[in-house]
Amino acid sequence: VNNVWIAGVGMTRFGRRDESLPDLIAEAALPALRDAGIERPDALVVAAMNPEEFTGAGNYGSLINTYLGLAHVPTVRVETATSSGMAAVYAGFADIAAGLHRTVLVVGGEKMSHMPTPRVSEIIGRSIDPHERTYGTTMPALAGLITRAAMHSRGLTLREMAQVSVKNHANGARNPLAHFREPVTLEAVMQSRLVADPLRLYHCCPISDGAAAVVLTAEPAAVRIAGIGQGTDTMALRYRSELTSFRATQAAAQAAYAMAGFGPERVDLAELHDAFSPFELISLEDAGLMPAGKAGRATLDGETALDGRLPVNTSGGLKARGHPLAATGISQIVELCLQLRGIAEGRQVAARVGLAHSIGGLATNNWVTLVEARA
Amino acid sequence: MIVQSIEASRCPRCERMVVPPAHYCPDHPVAMEPATVPGVGEIVSFTTLHSPPEGFKAPLHIALIELEGGARLFCHGQETRGIKIGSSVGVESLDNVFYFSHMSFADRARLFWRRAGAGGEKFASITKSLAKGLFRGRSRDDS
Repeated sequence: VNNVWIAGVGMTRFGRRDESLPDLIAEAALPALRDAGIERPDALVVAAMNPEEFTGAGNYGSLINTYLGLAHVPTVRVETATSSGMAAVYAGFADIAAGLHRTVLVVGGEKMSHMPTPRVSEIIGRSIDPHERTYGTTMPALAGLITRAAMHSRGLTLREMAQVSVKNHANGARNPLAHFREPVTLEAVMQSRLVADPLRLYHCCPISDGAAAVVLTAEPAAVRIAGIGQGTDTMALRYRSELTSFRATQAAAQAAYAMAGFGPERVDLAELHDAFSPFELISLEDAGLMPAGKAGRATLDGETALDGRLPVNTSGGLKARGHPLAATGISQIVELCLQLRGIAEGRQVAARVGLAHSIGGLATNNWVTLVEARA
Repeated sequence: MIVQSIEASRCPRCERMVVPPAHYCPDHPVAMEPATVPGVGEIVSFTTLHSPPEGFKAPLHIALIELEGGARLFCHGQETRGIKIGSSVGVESLDNVFYFSHMSFADRARLFWRRAGAGGEKFASITKSLAKGLFRGRSRDDS
């Protein structure tokens, strides 16, 4: 297996954007290619969760390679629900690791905010088991069920969950590309309106537009992908015996650590999939970054803050940076690269190894990726 | 309260039960066999959705229930007042939609006598689950 390096990164500002999805993708991809010093990659991987429904376009790989002026570059489009971006990173990684190509542009994005929110929620909700959807379950509904069970069995508190949102908003305020750049108070989170009891509005990530890109190369660059792992679980929540931890994250983390040849003790910072703020706490433990039952307390104690022992979601996370579905996993890698290269202006932390964690669907198809600064 | 029998499927390989019936076991690519389970179970978790999707009225109460025998299913409910994780509930199917309802003290006692009479071999497990239910019921009344 060849080493795979990240030679270039790019991303758009996340949030409500008027541009088309191809325009957003170009806005991320072209700077990433420039950053890598490459005009034409050997291959292209495009991630988009559901451009068919959100934008009405199809054959998305070809649409994007033609739009970007890369019409004759071999292209695949990749989809694993909300973790599509990281699945695309994996596809690019595998391509270079296998020696099939030397340079791969990986780009992902989503454009949703032009649609009414209930329609967007319905389309995202199609990643839920069809039978369970007939009960009116949405992503927040299932997250609400999981949160209540976690409060009951793991002693997770409303205050700990709220602190995740407070921290991620504070980080987002330092990221010029974040969807939300205003800090929020613990009280504001805890008093925001109930969405799916006990989850409140400020525990939930927003609907964002945006795109992100990385250029992967066989040629050594500043950051290396040390390990990448995938984990899956049943689409139906009712088929799982364990609600309050995600088997898909645990399996992905194990695979990523095994490939990297090191464990969680070497991780200096993490980008975790906080689509709902309790998920950050669950994921910290599932990824082995915190002992079971300790993530909430550690968060209240500031251990995961920008100046903490293990900064988490320095970008602002899904909560504040935003969550344009297929852009999200790639944007996590972008943030880790900026940090490892020492150019995360305004929010720089000292780090050599970073971990990114992406959840697809309701933790049906998850990824954990480890990146390492070149020695 | 009448305990309904709920249609399920059982995996011949691992004995896993699923509701509603499914063709294949989620853990094994083998055909499942028809089975039934009693419509009695425990609340695994629940939520109230304040902005439910189109076609549902707010507030929408949704619970995940574990039936006796291990199969879990989603249910709607009239309310979640008095419901806790671990509460015993009855599950009924109306027009192919499952609904949960809180089992009162009297419901649980009736269920106990009816089933104790039906089969001695299940007596021990029913006593155990009932004792658990009564204990929970009492601690709730006290709180």
